[in-house]
Amino acid sequence: MDLLEPTRQAFALLFSGDRELWGIIWLSLWVSVAALALLAPLCVPLGFVVARIHFPGRRALVVAMQGFLSFPTVVVGLVLYLVLSRRGPLGAFELLFTPSAILIGYMVIALPILMVFTVAAVQGADSRIYETARCLGARPLRAMGTTLWEVRFAVTAGFVNAFGRVVSEVGCALLVGGNIAGLTRNIPTAIALETSKGEFAYGIALGFVLMVIAVGVNVALAWLQGEGGLE
Amino acid sequence: MSPLFKAEGIVKRFGERVLFDAASLELETGNGYVLIGPNGSGKTTLLRVLAGLDSAQEGKLVYRAREAAAAGPYPEPWRREIVYAHQQPYLFRTSLADNVEYGLARRGMARERRAALAGEALAWAGLTARHGVPPHRLSGGEKQRAALARAKVLDPVLLLLDEPTANLDGEARAQVLELVRALITESHTVLIATHDPEIIRLAILTRLRVSAQRIEVAE
Amino acid sequence: MIKRIVFALAALLCAATAQAQTVRMATTTSTANTGLLDYLLPKFRSRTGITVQYVAVGTGAALKIGEQGDADVVLVHDRESEEKFVAAGFGVKRRDVMYNDFVIVGAPADPAQIRGMKDAAEALKRIRAAGSAFVSRGDRSGTHLRELQLWRAAGVEPKWGGYYLSIGQGMGTALIMAYEKRGYTLTDRGTYLAYLKKTDLQIMVEGDSRLNNPYSVIAVNPSRHPRINHAGATRLIDWLTSDEGQRAIAEYEVGGAQLFFPSAK
Repeated sequence: MDLLEPTRQAFALLFSGDRELWGIIWLSLWVSVAALALLAPLCVPLGFVVARIHFPGRRALVVAMQGFLSFPTVVVGLVLYLVLSRRGPLGAFELLFTPSAILIGYMVIALPILMVFTVAAVQGADSRIYETARCLGARPLRAMGTTLWEVRFAVTAGFVNAFGRVVSEVGCALLVGGNIAGLTRNIPTAIALETSKGEFAYGIALGFVLMVIAVGVNVALAWLQGEGGLE
Repeated sequence: MSPLFKAEGIVKRFGERVLFDAASLELETGNGYVLIGPNGSGKTTLLRVLAGLDSAQEGKLVYRAREAAAAGPYPEPWRREIVYAHQQPYLFRTSLADNVEYGLARRGMARERRAALAGEALAWAGLTARHGVPPHRLSGGEKQRAALARAKVLDPVLLLLDEPTANLDGEARAQVLELVRALITESHTVLIATHDPEIIRLAILTRLRVSAQRIEVAE
Repeated sequence: MIKRIVFALAALLCAATAQAQTVRMATTTSTANTGLLDYLLPKFRSRTGITVQYVAVGTGAALKIGEQGDADVVLVHDRESEEKFVAAGFGVKRRDVMYNDFVIVGAPADPAQIRGMKDAAEALKRIRAAGSAFVSRGDRSGTHLRELQLWRAAGVEPKWGGYYLSIGQGMGTALIMAYEKRGYTLTDRGTYLAYLKKTDLQIMVEGDSRLNNPYSVIAVNPSRHPRINHAGATRLIDWLTSDEGQRAIAEYEVGGAQLFFPSAK
């Protein structure tokens, strides 16, 4: 089968600014970014606390988080579907088959990733950082901020990793989003749909964009780290 | 006149090992002290307890007639006036100026004033020429001088220095020594834990020796 | 050792040639979801020894699969597309098999107030006017194409707010989504009945002659692709349109109701 023609069409589609296509790309981007933005104020300070404060059950929590790192996203989708459907406990909110459902799913998937990376970053931080900040008069909250800033690359790596995972996952988004055109159809679900319909140009265009996004974000992180990351 | 800072009955254990057993010391305002003792005798630990970075099992800390349990939370207001410097100081990975301004910023000082004071402190430490260098690229001696500038700019009432000349020799050591001498004579109250004979020899300093899990004034 | 390998390879070869006893069918989700195929095909197999493997997609996709030669026979329900398919030379031997009808179903609360209407196009117009949720297959299936015809007849552009939900998926999914969104959808009666227990949707509009839904079976043109099992496909078509096949279709019931009506001539 000749793939050159669909590939040519794919790029034509992309550069023509096809509204539907770019709408799909936009959905993928904003839901992924929003999920991480909503999680950040919770996960980063929480990760700091878990890394530094010994409380009963701490070890169990850390082990559990590690365990959930590779939790199958389709199972997240399944559970979320059951919870959000009309028969489920949260059915009254009518969230199923909306972008909000995908957002929630992404948050569930990204949470353990952000936690694990932040905990690791803070544990790997020089213990003198927090102490120096405190000795110079910083309140505990501020000293936490200073510490997190000092390990910002390691923390950011967590966000990049989480972003890559949610932007390209298909199981959860398909189940709880429903792949509705113009509403909950994002890059991975659209690729699945269009390819199964034999619309290879669309699939190739979206696949290319997804690749650029996923690789690009990682490259950007590595670039920004510059020397700082390579010590 | 009552002493600026008192530690009474400090008991500090690490598991089975007893580091201090009913140790006490007194620091008078404006005086300089040097804390000496063999390696592992607990000099750093003592300084950290006085600075509120570690707590002891028992004992009392008294600063300016206010009391706090050595085992309990360290009073926040003390941190504004008592400054501790690590043996190997950590400089934040921002800029030299940022490091020196850090404590001033925490006090809510305005940007221009901060920058001015930091500039003066860097000049005092002889680091003006190193202005644009990333802090982690400074030499050991430069880092130590930067840390001293960072502490000095806060105009601390009590300065706790942990081995300021450790791992330094030659030119670097001499430069740090100069700054330490300047700090002592500038009427801050200073407590320095050190092995460095040149510091210990300074007549102006009162010697405190760690011995038999206590602290005694040595001649 | 060598003997074992030889026997294993021979066994594999036999399995491969057994392909002659397999027919690949591309059909629509409505025939699959209703359970009709799982009822009919074992009967065909015990009669002829031929296994039919099927994929269920929309009419458009099924015809595409036939066009590419990835199926030996197609079973679909859109007259217009079928005629184009045959005219283009992709299919031969088109035969009527059965029919069922479409119905418009919706949430019991009937927000657009269309219950009992006899004009399907007018009903869609009302749904649009009320801004109620409407789920569309959006996949060029027979159902979707019929839906589009009705919109055309109503003179209405099917796009409004976030409530016209084009999903690109099968009938079962569409029904569940209509249920979840408390809206309406166009469905074939068979799938609706098969999904009765899963949703609370009720039939709102039925009986309009434009809702009639005839199914045809078409053999894929063997001269266009190598390895088309034309013999098997022909036997399937013959059986489906035979008395025995037609009787089996009529016998099939879900929840006590007959879903499909034989129509072979």
